[in-house]
Formats: sequence, structure tokens, C-alpha cells
Amino acid sequence: MSFLKSFPPPGPAEGLLRQQPDTEAVLNGKGLGTGTLYIAESRLSWLDGSGLGFSLEYPTISLHALSRDRSDCLGEHLYVMVNAKFEESKEPVADEEEEDSDDDVEPITEFRFVPSDKSALEAMFTAMCECQALHPDPEDEDSDDYDGEEYDVEAHDGMEVDTTPTVAGQFEDADVDH
Amino acid sequence: MLFYSFFKSLVGKDVVVELKNDLSICGTLHSYLNIKLTDISVTDPEKYPHMLSVKNCFIRGSVVRYVQLPADEVDTQLLQDAARKEALQQKQ
Repeated sequence: MSFLKSFPPPGPAEGLLRQQPDTEAVLNGKGLGTGTLYIAESRLSWLDGSGLGFSLEYPTISLHALSRDRSDCLGEHLYVMVNAKFEESKEPVADEEEEDSDDDVEPITEFRFVPSDKSALEAMFTAMCECQALHPDPEDEDSDDYDGEEYDVEAHDGMEVDTTPTVAGQFEDADVDH
Repeated sequence: MLFYSFFKSLVGKDVVVELKNDLSICGTLHSYLNIKLTDISVTDPEKYPHMLSVKNCFIRGSVVRYVQLPADEVDTQLLQDAARKEALQQKQ
């Protein structure tokens, strides 16, 4: 897995909320080994026994959930859906060669973190909820305060113009009958 | 404020959240802005088999495209009037 790299484990400086040892990481169904999951305010990180691992930024985490299916081969685990692509090999692939190179499709990567201590799952889930709340998207300039012309179908007060003649022939010269 | 009070009235109701990555999740609304759903079911389970065993989930608010509301739980006339009032207030 070439996207794994070595970095020091997160500590109090990164706002470490929870550290879960003996946790297996699975990427899109492929096991990465057993290591420690670090749920910190700055990012979510996982490091294996040799000090290699990866980090996930909260703005890229689309959703997270607890899987409670014990008959699943992994057992109960923390499921994390990430809006990013994790390549198994780092070879750059030219766009023309990609079968699925559709720029509009959002990449989806599924991670699953399987702690040996299943009783920790609830706390892991909650810790992630708290950390996600700390990473709102940056303010969109245009989303609030829309000063442009709003087309409001109904609010044309005082400007109602009935273009259809209500009486047939109302624009014809009046007949003068005396 | 209408946004907040409106969503507050939906807590406990069943909604379908459609994400920007096209995944749709049906569940009971637990909390909003970031959306927590309980008792979820995925409308396209073949695409996301790993979510079949998930009961509760937390969805990052910024990845939500739509929240589909139960038609009989929403008074659309009332909502339209309230939205219009709020839009007028904001323009002042």
C-alpha cells in the first residue's frame, strides 16, 4: 500500500480525543493490518505497528456509522465513507486510459475500522461526531445574502397586467347607435 | 431561523437523504445540520453492501444534496407563507 506513510502519532497538540489500539483497518475490502486508530480534533489517523499509516481529513469524510452485524466476517466495526480516492499503486494513469474517468462522479472510498474491544465502538462513533462538528465547510460567498434579481412568480403586486381581452372585440371602435 | 424550526419539526420523522455522491439513505431524523439518522436503510444496497448492517449513521451536512420529506408531514402552504415572510424580513 504505497499511500501509507510514516508520521508521529497524534497527541494532545492535535486535540486527540480517543486512541483505540488493536484496531484493524480495511480499505475497500482490503485489510491493511492491525494498528491504532487516533481520533483527534484535527484529523482521523491510523498507524500500524511499524509506524506506517494514513490520515483522513474530516471535510473529506462524507459519513460514518457503526455496523452491528456480528455475522459479518469483520464483526462489529466503525464504517467511514470518504470522498477521496486511495490508489493502491501510485502510478499516474493518463485520463484517456481510465475506463471510468468521469469528472462529475465523486470518488468514494470505504474504510472500516475493527477494534478488538467492541465495547469501544459507541465512544469511537461519538468522538467522530464531535470532531466532524469542528470542521464546517468554509463560508460560501454566494450562499447567503443573495442580492440578485429573484424571480418570484406571485409577488408582482400592483403590476398585474391582464393581457388577454376580457371582452371579445373590446378594442374595436364602438358602434354609435342613437 | 425558519430552517432551524422547520427541521426541528421533522425530528423523529422518516426522511430520505440524498448525498452528492448519489447515495440515498432512508432513516429517522435524529439531528440536523450534520444529519444523524437512526434505523437506516440504503435505497441501493447492491452498490453499498457494507452499509446493510448499519443502523445509525452520521452524515456530514455539506455532502447532502437533498432531504426528501414525508409529504403528509409537511404543510406546504404554511411553509411557503413562512418562507416568503422570512425572505421579506431579510430584505429589510
